Amino acid sequence: MGARVITVTSGKGGVGKTTTTANLGVALARQGKRVIIVDTDIGLRNLDVVMGLQNRIVYDIVDLVEGRCRLRQALIRDRVMPELYLLPAAQSRDKTAISPTDMLRVCDQLRAECDIVLIDSPAGIERGFRNAVAPAEEFILVTTPDQTAVQDVDRVVGLLEAEGHRALRLVINRVRPALVKRNESLSPQAIVEMLAIELLGIVPEAEEIIISNGRGTPIAYNAQSAAGRAYHDMARRLLGEAVPIPPVEVRPRGPWAWLHRRS
Amino acid sequence: MVAIRGTREGLTIALGSSPVAEVLQELARHLQAQGAFFRGGMVALEVGEHPVSADDLVAFQKLIGEYDMTLRTVLAADKASQEAALALGLRLVSPPMPGAEVAPPPAAPSATSNASFEGVRGILVRRRVRSGQVVRHTGHVVVIGDVHAGAEIVAGGDIVVWGRLFGTAHAGAAGDENAIVCALELAPLQLRIGHVVARPAEGERQHPQYPEVAYVRDGLIVIDKWDRTPRGV
Repeated sequence: MGARVITVTSGKGGVGKTTTTANLGVALARQGKRVIIVDTDIGLRNLDVVMGLQNRIVYDIVDLVEGRCRLRQALIRDRVMPELYLLPAAQSRDKTAISPTDMLRVCDQLRAECDIVLIDSPAGIERGFRNAVAPAEEFILVTTPDQTAVQDVDRVVGLLEAEGHRALRLVINRVRPALVKRNESLSPQAIVEMLAIELLGIVPEAEEIIISNGRGTPIAYNAQSAAGRAYHDMARRLLGEAVPIPPVEVRPRGPWAWLHRRS
Repeated sequence: MVAIRGTREGLTIALGSSPVAEVLQELARHLQAQGAFFRGGMVALEVGEHPVSADDLVAFQKLIGEYDMTLRTVLAADKASQEAALALGLRLVSPPMPGAEVAPPPAAPSATSNASFEGVRGILVRRRVRSGQVVRHTGHVVVIGDVHAGAEIVAGGDIVVWGRLFGTAHAGAAGDENAIVCALELAPLQLRIGHVVARPAEGERQHPQYPEVAYVRDGLIVIDKWDRTPRGV
């Protein structure tokens, strides 16, 4: 019993796992859920930076696993959302510092403390991925409209399905409607058809995401922005609400106007 | 000289009419090229004109062992070979017609060669095959579901995809160019039949939305619409 454990993963690096984890964490917390986000990218931790919490880290997940601290000491409360916590990765170790069994144990502790545990997976399908995947029963697969990213997600879905997992949802990140319209980028429909898993949401490519990641203020703090709204809609879908996914369109006015202006 | 073919039991390697040492050399080359395909298979050795000694059999076991294959059965008509096989504890089968010619290599195209597939076992895969997943079988492979880009189907016999084929398909992987590949939508990254390799033309090929079949004609892979009995079938 206890919290839902959801792992955000992708196979390929740089597609937006950490951004997705941070923003979904914020959006789920805004829905009134107690959320713990966990960075399992040991040696290459980033989630703390995107959340703007890097200067508050005292203990990390390896300290917790190796018994140098208690859970409450390792959890860092978000600056804005009182019910959102970060369990950071260690930066000075590597993926072998913890095992899938350790992750199961840590997550058993976390389940008792919150409603949703959101685990940010490292890229790849090796040890770090195994650690991130071991304790979860639900998965969010992140891809961009690139053939390579889609194919890597396909590989990961195959691995997860082979372990009997069925709760797999897809986030298509960095969609550029103008390219889709000109047929120079895979459309979200084509990607969903290729991967044949449930679509959780589509996030448009946006400069503001790059800016907010750098500042450590996730875009989901701003529910007015197109990208911010996309994350809030995803959070509501995750909680079982039927929120329609708007079609990707380039319109002179409307949600994609900003893109039109730029091109 | 050395013929390898898929059977219900696994693989049959026929030694033919050449001396054993020569055959082993050729077999080594063969396995080096295609060993990955045969990996893990059970092997029946069909002894030809030259009787094999226990040493020959041990050398053979060692060679195929490098490719994770296991010698289980020896088909031999002559006494010396039979005794050598029994000495090593192998299963022995006497051919129905002692001293008969070894079956011709299945790769030789002929009007009746499709008959060599009759009774060959296949496997049914009833799910989509995703990137990185490999389906490998010495007989036929039937997939009900899509085969994604990055997935691989390797069959000793035919490949049938009741779905869309986007990955790589290798039919007749032991060298049989009479094998076919058919799919509801045939859009593979790469197609191989026997030793023939085909890639779709660079650039955009509009894949038709009807079933197609691929087979080898005059040393090239050709693709036909599946709305009549194509020549390759």
